[in-house]
Amino acid sequence: MSDQNSARSNDERDEVQYDPNSGRYDIYECTVSGCDNVVLVVGSDDPPMSCHDQLMERVMDVEMSVNSPDVRQVLLQAFGLPKAGLDICLCVIGEGPLSANEVAEQLGYDRSTVTRYLNKLVELGLLRRSELNREGGGVVKVYHSIDLERMRRETLIGFYAWAGEAAALIEEANLTKQDYLEKNPDQELPDVFWESFLDE
Amino acid sequence: MSVTRRSVLEQLAAATDATRRETTTFEALATTLDTDEPTVESHVDGLTACELAKPYPDGSVRITITGEELLALDTDELVVVDSP
Repeated sequence: MSDQNSARSNDERDEVQYDPNSGRYDIYECTVSGCDNVVLVVGSDDPPMSCHDQLMERVMDVEMSVNSPDVRQVLLQAFGLPKAGLDICLCVIGEGPLSANEVAEQLGYDRSTVTRYLNKLVELGLLRRSELNREGGGVVKVYHSIDLERMRRETLIGFYAWAGEAAALIEEANLTKQDYLEKNPDQELPDVFWESFLDE
Repeated sequence: MSVTRRSVLEQLAAATDATRRETTTFEALATTLDTDEPTVESHVDGLTACELAKPYPDGSVRITITGEELLALDTDELVVVDSP
């Protein structure tokens, strides 16, 4: 995939709406007055989600559309995994073992770039690095995948942590907006509210 | 059935020994893997670049210590070898 594709602007990106009938994921909310608990469920809702000792209700009426996520952008935003890191993974899966030089040649990157991103993947916990004995003396570094099930869990939980941080920011912005309106009842809200707030 | 580089490495491990310098031939590898010699040679070239295989001028080849240690890691498919 080219840089152009992965860097599509928001305007060009397809919009999607939450479809409660898709079965891909579900959003539940607590029905108790004053409780803001909203949860995302991926997979089985068994036992059913509950809050305040009551079953939570599946959200059925969402009007807002969101930008269709691009997997490279998600990985970049959530994990700081740049396009090059994903390119390396996709290049090697099913083809390895490959040398770092081969990966660099196939992707058109410098060898040092490949090594840098391999180390980044290790930092993120998506790869492991081992040192093997070299016949001529010294060691050879080997980058290899962790257990696939563990990788699935790590990336999903990592993404949830990122999504939780994002949700907390949105909540904070909503509260701040409320504070602003209470303190400035005669002023209209600026077009891009949070940017003007940061300037203050 | 397509032969992967990893399957060639595993067959090398089964047919040769790094410590005892026991070798096999490309022909024998191709026969065992049910493929042709150019395919095996191509994969061995790649394994050699990764320092996982050691070819000899007489046409024989063996796994290296590094190759044996790599297989002992029991890794999944995603492997990159970054040798100095």
